[in-house]
Amino acid sequence: MHRYIIWPAIALALAIAVYVAEPYFVTQRAAAGGPGGLAGQPAPVFDLRDDRGRAVSLEQYRGSLVVMNLWASWCPPCRAEMPDLQRLAEAEAGQGIAVVGVNEGESPQQARAFAASLGIRFPIWVDGRQQYGRAYNALGLPTTVILDREGVVIRAFDGPLTLDQMRAAVAAVRAR
Amino acid sequence: MSWFLSTALVATAGVIVEIWLPGQPAYHTGWYNVALAALAILVVVNGQKQWKAARGSRSRLAIVAVAFGVAAMGVAGVANGLFAPDDRNVVGAPGERVRVEDVGTLSFPLPGEDRNAPVGVTLDRPLHAPLEIGEHARNAGSFILRAVPRDVVDVEVRDLLGNRLTVTQPNGSVFLSPVLLMQARQTIAGMDVPFDSFNVPAARRVVKAILFTPAEAAVLMHDPGAPGQAAVLFAVDDENDRPLPHAIVMSAGGAAVRAGGLNLRADVTSYPEIEVVWAPNIAVVAIGTLLVLAGLVVLALMPRHDRAHVS
Repeated sequence: MHRYIIWPAIALALAIAVYVAEPYFVTQRAAAGGPGGLAGQPAPVFDLRDDRGRAVSLEQYRGSLVVMNLWASWCPPCRAEMPDLQRLAEAEAGQGIAVVGVNEGESPQQARAFAASLGIRFPIWVDGRQQYGRAYNALGLPTTVILDREGVVIRAFDGPLTLDQMRAAVAAVRAR
Repeated sequence: MSWFLSTALVATAGVIVEIWLPGQPAYHTGWYNVALAALAILVVVNGQKQWKAARGSRSRLAIVAVAFGVAAMGVAGVANGLFAPDDRNVVGAPGERVRVEDVGTLSFPLPGEDRNAPVGVTLDRPLHAPLEIGEHARNAGSFILRAVPRDVVDVEVRDLLGNRLTVTQPNGSVFLSPVLLMQARQTIAGMDVPFDSFNVPAARRVVKAILFTPAEAAVLMHDPGAPGQAAVLFAVDDENDRPLPHAIVMSAGGAAVRAGGLNLRADVTSYPEIEVVWAPNIAVVAIGTLLVLAGLVVLALMPRHDRAHVS
């Protein structure tokens, strides 16, 4: 009986030793930091108000691709990028793409005045508690996130984009 | 009780105590692990002798079960004692995902409407279901997690017209968080107090916030506006970190104060940090304990003349 027990016992002991020691020696693969780290995950959604005080949510854009831009009025790159976002919104109007600007941390009046000064007509939401910035791991402003029709984060960008970069990103998502 | 069984029980207890009372420095000392390894080896070596002397397959199986259970637990205990990383406390801002080496990714949730309601931090790991961590300890295999409350400061900044201003933390891991985790400390008037800082880019201001407990606030403030409540001292500098005149103010009980061209308000709230304590693998210890107990029961139920051989 001895030989029938000893080898399975040794094999089992070795397996246990490997199982027990594994967590101490195997380093997990680092998750990507910043907004790109959310790619492939359902987009965090918060109920907000727009710059006119109306209740809004990303849920209302289910079925459309969403280009969500996080911005603030004190941020010069945001100001530089906004007109290109407006051009993108105009070019893609009626083609299943929604462009949304989410102001981070400011008052609705400031957001409205800023948008008016640049002739922005796409929806402007006001995230006074900076929830989107935190939930999307924004490293700075502007941050742009692209969601698919099911509300899943496809791509995210830290820093300003040119119109060509926006178009390329949207085309890549649309082609999926 | 026989020498073999007593040694097995002592070794078992030596490993179980690491899970029952986790985080004791003794578990990582050389003497503790040498003793544990010696006990396990003694049980295995002694078990071999007992096995040869035993009569019948039932007693032999019981001896193998005890020896194998102790050996497995000994490996788990010594591996934890010698190779486990240091215990640590993980702090994260609401909404932040913090990757912890060898543990996984901890997701710190954003508080709901009721900011005082308890929030659960979630651990995500490959090949495991998400684990929600509360104030009760959760064993996650080779480590134990527990949420412990810490004081954080939720700031709101407005300009003198009442417009809300963006708060940023460029030096922290969360850029757009108005929640200060107060991880740094300094001594003020003989008191060791936590502090943090944040930027208000629209106003070109850098603000330092220092947190005082209610007792400390009572000592510092001649007329505490909110007695019995924590207070926050704000010191407002310009964007080049130069102090501004008359820009040091104390706010207690969430009251708004004015300094450096800003209206500042601070709510001191409780938010969890996660205590990570390493322990022997729970699955191995559970199986090992079951084997030892099963072996003990079988040996105890055996006729006296068979049991007498287990010495």
